[in-house]
Amino acid sequence: MRPAVRIGSIVLGLVALAGLAGLAAPYDVVTAVDPDRAGVGPSIAHWLGTDHLGRDVAWRLALAPRAFVAPALLAVGLATVLGVTAGALAGYTGGAVASTVRYLATVTASIPRFVLILLAVTIYGSEGWVLGMAAGVAWTPAVAEVVHQRIEALTRAEFVLAARAHGLGPVRILLFHLLWVNCRRMVGRQALHLFGDLLVLETTLSYIGGFGVSEPEPSWGNMLAFEFGQHTANPWGLWAPAVAIWITVWAAGLVGETLAERTRA
Amino acid sequence: MFATQLLLSLAPGDPVDLVPGGEEVRAGLEAEWGLDAPVLVRYGRYLARAATGDLGTSLTWRPGAPVADLVWPAAARSLGLAVPAVGLALVTGVLLAWATAGRRSWRRRIVQALSIGPVFLLAFVAVTVLNETTWTLVERGLVARPSWFALPDTASGLRTALAIVVLAVGSGSLAEVHAALEDEIVRIRNAPFVDAALARGAPIAPHVLLNLLPPLTTIMANRTAFFVGGLVVVEKVLLLNGAGSMLWQACGARDYPLAMGLAIVAAAVVCATRLMGDLLRVGVDPRLREPPP
Amino acid sequence: MPDRLLLEGLEIRAGDRILVRGAGFTLESGEVVALVGASGSGKTLTARAAVGLPGPRPGVVAAHLRVEATGEVHEPWEGVAEAVAGGRRARFRRTAEPRFRAIRGRLVGYLAQDARSALDPLWTVGRLVEESRHLGKSAAPAAHWLARAGFRLPDGILPLHPHQLSGGMAQRVSIAMALARGSRFLLADEPTTGLDPTVQEEILAEIRATAGQGVGILLITHDLRLVPRVADRVVLLHGGRVVESLETGSLRHARSPEARALLAATARIAGGVLA
Repeated sequence: MRPAVRIGSIVLGLVALAGLAGLAAPYDVVTAVDPDRAGVGPSIAHWLGTDHLGRDVAWRLALAPRAFVAPALLAVGLATVLGVTAGALAGYTGGAVASTVRYLATVTASIPRFVLILLAVTIYGSEGWVLGMAAGVAWTPAVAEVVHQRIEALTRAEFVLAARAHGLGPVRILLFHLLWVNCRRMVGRQALHLFGDLLVLETTLSYIGGFGVSEPEPSWGNMLAFEFGQHTANPWGLWAPAVAIWITVWAAGLVGETLAERTRA
Repeated sequence: MFATQLLLSLAPGDPVDLVPGGEEVRAGLEAEWGLDAPVLVRYGRYLARAATGDLGTSLTWRPGAPVADLVWPAAARSLGLAVPAVGLALVTGVLLAWATAGRRSWRRRIVQALSIGPVFLLAFVAVTVLNETTWTLVERGLVARPSWFALPDTASGLRTALAIVVLAVGSGSLAEVHAALEDEIVRIRNAPFVDAALARGAPIAPHVLLNLLPPLTTIMANRTAFFVGGLVVVEKVLLLNGAGSMLWQACGARDYPLAMGLAIVAAAVVCATRLMGDLLRVGVDPRLREPPP
Repeated sequence: MPDRLLLEGLEIRAGDRILVRGAGFTLESGEVVALVGASGSGKTLTARAAVGLPGPRPGVVAAHLRVEATGEVHEPWEGVAEAVAGGRRARFRRTAEPRFRAIRGRLVGYLAQDARSALDPLWTVGRLVEESRHLGKSAAPAAHWLARAGFRLPDGILPLHPHQLSGGMAQRVSIAMALARGSRFLLADEPTTGLDPTVQEEILAEIRATAGQGVGILLITHDLRLVPRVADRVVLLHGGRVVESLETGSLRHARSPEARALLAATARIAGGVLA
């Protein structure tokens, strides 16, 4: 279990790093078309070979995370700030605030996230920041919900009463004892889950096409779609992005679950 | 407390509550046509019409055709995918959870590793592997070219079956249902009343299964929204003809009334499932029928 | 020949800790035996070992259990306990579980500590008693068994759900279920804990009456004051070991220091309240 979690964390770190570094990477590395070396297998010069237009698969694979890492970080930040604020307020104060938050959460959650995001992308265009904002808003109810439940249960717990009796102020209790000590792992798990979801979202949009990243800009999704049905001599071009998606989603899920397990213990 | 819960579960069924999704679409509508009528009035009118089943007319899909006429047949076709998929996820989830509950099992690892794959990726892998295998077999002369070859073009029956499986398994669906059910089964099996049933030599399955029903409805109600979202992807990737692919195309063609109508139907389906789940829970669990103490 | 239940040499461990060392008891049809001890003395574990429900964690290392009833003889722990100690729970499931299934309920019943949570919350009382009646192959309707367990208006109880019962009512329903099941022995785990004194007395009377119908009853309790009222014999547990086993009448002649301490403490509490 431990080594798996370590590997998962390393994978996530690398993907995030690649995504951020990719923003500054030279453009022509991934777009230079060379029909002479189309569909070549792995070699020293091209670690994973080339696709059917002769572009280096390894480079495209490494730079593709830039399509989703920045939106994912935006979405995670937005959902965490909004969700934790709403959930904490609702859980700690209860009453009308709680019912309003719960009501809004139920209403937002009744529209499937994917449909909501698709509508947003249709209206505002499929730039990364739209994707990030829409996913952040769509995820806020989920974050608010878990924080709300946790805080609500904890507020009634004996140790909060004891802390009050010790003369601790409500701000300190809420910010430190409730949120930081008791909720950070849970929120971290939600954040990782959202990161994985955004990867899936972006690659799905790019794979199907019409929204998301479009050629020649690489995304793991459109790399798959682009090589599909081409019968190139280089199967790496087809399978590498699929494996990359799978491993990254797996890593996000695994690390998130480990965080959640520690919370439970 | 029960009253608020019931109210909450009922509330989203009312189209007036669809404001968040509506806001964005409304903004888009305005930008597109520069509508001058007061925002709220227009929006109110739209909702009033939507409540009576009139969702406006399509702009580009089939210009002038009532959206409702386009949406309902497509939604019915999609339901033919979603319902079997939900059933498959449920049955497989219960069976797997029953087998693995309370044990560290390699089966769980496999299910979760498989199920974590995104819907589109699973569909892609299934189609690719099937195609490649068939190619190889045909090339070696082992089989005559079967009628369902060239998967993406023909044999919608096979694609439908694939879509159902992919939807039931993909994007962590089966894994989550499995894990949640496992927790519940362990909780119920350790409950004193199951212990007591065991001690009096009674079969425990009826007790465990009935007590599993309330959490089961909760799990499924929570997954419905995901299934509806997954439909869009699965229909698009496997080239099936339903509400999901219609939504995608409506979005692509900027046919806002059609997209909006489909979104409302999706939300209504989700709300209806939640309500049904709540009703079932109240029907099964007598404690929920009591007034609060 | 009367029915007999014998448990001896019971040893239960959780990891390195020994929870029960050499405890046991005997029980004959129609008698009430009190198994008395402080919390953590291993009372519940001992009783549960007699129905093969050692709970999720602890492992039974050694046990000799012999159940003679209705002309049958069962020895379900034979050759299994040692294997379970080795951590082979699968072995227990394969060999001992079927043997225990043959005696659980039918010959030996177990009344769990908290009667209310021991009833399935989604079933009605009628359905629960009906289940036991069906398992016990008895022809009498559920209401009959509820009446036998002391309900004056049993038909009013049938449609109720467990959460609508008081603790005492739930305990009676459990007794009714055991009667309908036709158990020859009944292991009652703290049946009066948490009940008010009037209800306690009614439940004890019910237990006495059940024993009068030829059922052997093990009454597990931490409260020595209950013992003279109902029990024929007393088994005193301390630290997972039997320190005293005698007729109720000769309780005051107990010689072990643990028994003397318990007797003295009980006398002081009872005296403090009543005198």
